[in-house]
Amino acid sequence: MPAPSILYHCPCLSTSPVPPPPHLPSSSYSFHPLHTLFFCEECDAVRCNRCVSVEVSGYYCPNCLFEVPSASVRAEKNRCARNCFMCPNCRNTLSVVPSDPPDPGDGRLMVPISAVGEPPFLLYCNYCRWDSSEVGMTFEKPTGLAAQLQKFEDSALDSLEFDRLKEHFEPIIRASSLSSSTLPTQAAHSPHTNPITAAATAALARDIPGVAKYTPLTRSQRGHKDKSANKDEMPQYKSRVDITTASKHGTGGGELDVEMMKRLEDVSEIARLEQRWSLSWTTSIETRDLKPLRIPLHSKRSKRCPACTHILIKPEQKAQSVRFKIKLAAASYLPAIVVALPHRQQALAVESAKRSMVKSTTAPPDEDREGKCELQAGKTYPFNLALSNPLYDPIQVRLSVQRMHVSHSEGAPDKARRPPFAISLPTSPFTISAFAEAWEYEEDDEMFGLDDDEVLEARLRGEKEIKTKPKSVGVLEKKGNTTVIGGEVVIGKEARGNVKFNMLVSFTYRSDDPSPSESNDMGSPSKAGSKVTETKTFAFYTVVDLGAIIPKEEAKYIDDIL
Amino acid sequence: MSIPTTPRSKTSFNPVTPTTKRTAATHIVQSSPHYTTTRRHSLYGVEDRVVIDPGSRVWKVGFSGEGRPREVFYATEGASSLWTLRRAADAAERAEEDRMLEVKMEKCLRSVFHDSLLTDPKARKVIIVEHPLLPIYTKDTLARVLFENLQVPSVSFASSHLLSLLAVGRITGLVLDCGYLESVALPIFASRPLFPQIQTTPLAGSRLHSHLRSLLLLFGTYLPPTSPGPVNIPTASRSMRVPPEILTDSILDELLTRCCFVGEPLLSVSSNDTRDVTPGLDEGSETDLPPSSDATQSESDFSHVGRDSNVSSAQASTSDFSVISDPRTPVGADPRAGGLQGLANLYTRHSTATDLRLRVAPLPGGGGLGYATLIIPGWVRERAAEILFEPGDVDEKSVAEVILDALLKVPLDLRKTMASSILVVGGTPMLPGFIIRLHSELLRAIQPSPFVPRHPVRPDKPPPPQYDRYASLRPLTPYFAIVNNPSPGEPHSDRAKNNAGKAPAFTPATMAWVGASLAGVLKTGGVEVSREKWDEVEPMGGEDSAMGDMSTSTPSQSFHADRDSLHQRNILPDWTRIPLPTGVPSAVTRVGA
Repeated sequence: MPAPSILYHCPCLSTSPVPPPPHLPSSSYSFHPLHTLFFCEECDAVRCNRCVSVEVSGYYCPNCLFEVPSASVRAEKNRCARNCFMCPNCRNTLSVVPSDPPDPGDGRLMVPISAVGEPPFLLYCNYCRWDSSEVGMTFEKPTGLAAQLQKFEDSALDSLEFDRLKEHFEPIIRASSLSSSTLPTQAAHSPHTNPITAAATAALARDIPGVAKYTPLTRSQRGHKDKSANKDEMPQYKSRVDITTASKHGTGGGELDVEMMKRLEDVSEIARLEQRWSLSWTTSIETRDLKPLRIPLHSKRSKRCPACTHILIKPEQKAQSVRFKIKLAAASYLPAIVVALPHRQQALAVESAKRSMVKSTTAPPDEDREGKCELQAGKTYPFNLALSNPLYDPIQVRLSVQRMHVSHSEGAPDKARRPPFAISLPTSPFTISAFAEAWEYEEDDEMFGLDDDEVLEARLRGEKEIKTKPKSVGVLEKKGNTTVIGGEVVIGKEARGNVKFNMLVSFTYRSDDPSPSESNDMGSPSKAGSKVTETKTFAFYTVVDLGAIIPKEEAKYIDDIL
Repeated sequence: MSIPTTPRSKTSFNPVTPTTKRTAATHIVQSSPHYTTTRRHSLYGVEDRVVIDPGSRVWKVGFSGEGRPREVFYATEGASSLWTLRRAADAAERAEEDRMLEVKMEKCLRSVFHDSLLTDPKARKVIIVEHPLLPIYTKDTLARVLFENLQVPSVSFASSHLLSLLAVGRITGLVLDCGYLESVALPIFASRPLFPQIQTTPLAGSRLHSHLRSLLLLFGTYLPPTSPGPVNIPTASRSMRVPPEILTDSILDELLTRCCFVGEPLLSVSSNDTRDVTPGLDEGSETDLPPSSDATQSESDFSHVGRDSNVSSAQASTSDFSVISDPRTPVGADPRAGGLQGLANLYTRHSTATDLRLRVAPLPGGGGLGYATLIIPGWVRERAAEILFEPGDVDEKSVAEVILDALLKVPLDLRKTMASSILVVGGTPMLPGFIIRLHSELLRAIQPSPFVPRHPVRPDKPPPPQYDRYASLRPLTPYFAIVNNPSPGEPHSDRAKNNAGKAPAFTPATMAWVGASLAGVLKTGGVEVSREKWDEVEPMGGEDSAMGDMSTSTPSQSFHADRDSLHQRNILPDWTRIPLPTGVPSAVTRVGA
């Protein structure tokens, strides 16, 4: 994600609610863009796609949008059972085409016999011109191709061999389970045995490798020369098609394959690994032998909260529909935050203006922009956070920056303790107006509009802060349901890496059952504090990434160029 | 006090040894005997288990009872493997590594259920194909994600080597699994893996990757895309040394899987030298240029060759073929490179494999249009895998030696059985010719090494007998047989004849998965851990929560601490956790008694 950016924390990956320090690579997996998050009303918590439990609410083919009943999904191995195929070379969707009509020989174009065309039908790739006759695959009818292919698939060599293996092992396993279950009952007949001794005899009777069975019979049998011929009392398995036979037909890594590889002229003759690695049976490694692929089904998923199993999102059943029956997106509960670096925007504007005026610039434009836009070590930059309220009530927001992690640069152990940058943000709470439809906003409430009591109050408070702090820190702008907050980052002289910090956003909102008389007073922080019963507070972590710091030396270099 | 007089080697077959067979048998007794009749009637087939073969690089997933995996995918994005053979020594770094592993595993496992198999994880039992040397923390992470994030009802771990044997219809054999990180040989008798006899070497796919990379950096040729403009620069002057950035993992994978193969051992080729009098291909004469010819264009820093190759190589080379064979390293400056050059000359002389051109995406910002071309010399294609067969040392045995060492440890009366039922599985043996070559390497390694006269240590003593590691295995020579050898040679014994090449033609790479699928449908396989059992041992109950405390002194430390407590969980069955058999009491206690 390009800087500056902001991501929201979901605490599912760790057991503590405090997010991991942002410099760890693994921390990036705990933070997500707001639009991918869900919000569970029961648990009052953010849920992400890594922790929700997913259920399939329907299967459909992405190509023909046919809804597949779940009963046939299994039989069809999650593939479309209709006419949808993928090209084995380019994964494009194949189309069914009739073959050329028979040439009557008199030069006239013959009228097609039927509307669908002339059999046999082929699968044809419109992108790479592959067609299924290359692998000897033609169809009598243009519909239900998968069913026609099913015959071949059921008689695939791997499934036949698999069934044979199953038949080979089943009696053995049944026998072993039988013998182990009947053994104690036999022992129970003799008067002086209990289950423990029975188990002991069974253990003793077991054939221990390295110790010949102490029975005269086996001894005499083992007088045979090759006495270790078949040590596990198991019949030898006879393969349906063994690897020697298979490789004589040019598959399976045998001498034929080696010869072919030796004479290979063009890499494209050999199929890619991805095209053959799911085939468990040894097949030809050549591209020309690849078979068309049935298109895998997709699923419509509903997602539940992992803690309380309430549904967070549930799509409509129909494959064509893109709507949801239930949708608890975090974006409709948490304020959306947009980060901006004003100096970068200015630089971009200036540069584009400059470029339009002077065509021939001596300095390369790329470096010019970097020098202006990137964060240089040892300097101070303002940044803006625009918070938008999705709720129908105004909210009180308070921002705080998580304590800075210690620098992890190995080069300077003496300075390792010092954080590479410092963030200043307004510490006092501020309000964001309620969300309303676009036409309900006033046109003229741009910079600290004076028309509203709430905004006026906030403005007064904001001005108090401005007296002590520089202009860039504090509430900068209020417009509609968006409030822009200014912050400042002071970057250390030796700083490296990214300006990336965790920020706790806590906001107070009116709970679901308010007393109507209080609704007008929500804006003022002092009153909201006194009436705790009607308000609730929710806090969540975010990580703000302002971009990479340009170290001192490089910054100088760029300055020299300029 | 009676002391058991059983010899030491046999105590390892003490009934305490974890045998999947027996646990499976007890499991069957408890499970319903009707499964064979009921399973076909189930409409949704929920009792088909999910079979996952999680490699460090490639995962194979599917349902039990099917002959092939539903989906195979790379589990790595960017990194070359999910885990490696080493872990960070520093506790904080290790915790970070573990978190990254968990994050990646979670992603893979969730996609297995939600994207590949489209099934509800809460309704599916899971079989994990487990490599015997899979790091335990990896196994813990797998189980934790499956139980806690996906909430599967049960997980069973089954040994990949045993499962591979099942896939060829056997329960006894010596299995070599040549994967990405390691090649591991494990003898299995009557479905009992003889874990104490396990042998391993790091010569496997990852080493092959890096070897191929260095070969290409030295001997490959890179043609940047043609620059736009009317001037058509001849191919020869465009060609340059391969930039290292071009050789990404995916390109190397493609080269290995589409271009490389394993040739016959060189000794046998050079013995009948009459064959290569006719090199067959036209560049044969040019590739034998003496290395001195490139003295004129020798460049000291080959990292910058790309910048000025247009000038320099245009001076010397006349055809692009000569450029290919030019390593362009100053002769004599680097003895290693000189040795490599000798090797290259030797291989080139004996290789009839064609040179190949592969289209690759050009370097970013390199200019030019379209694709660049990578030229791979034929001998590199044929001899890249040589690294796996060269005789190794104690730490890095060759793949043949790893089999022989396992055989040396196997009890005497099992050796013949094991030697005649070798099974080779894993991704690397998918190289055409690998198994054939392995067989001849086995025979070569077992032969006595040529006599090297050694100086006697003391003049009055006779010289010490030559060290002959595999002397005791030599009588087994006629019995060696690889059951999935696609082209077994002339058998030297009935035993070898009955076994070599008789395995069903499943690919080596999917054999473990197929075996797991088979084990799943037979309701056998490894020890099952149910979710209830997992939840019982759940260590995190009253986790202290410093909720939203901004002034926590070191948030990272508390973070590490509670992750570490998660690892204290020993309910997963693993052969390394089995208590050792008591065996003979130690000498001290005997004296005391």
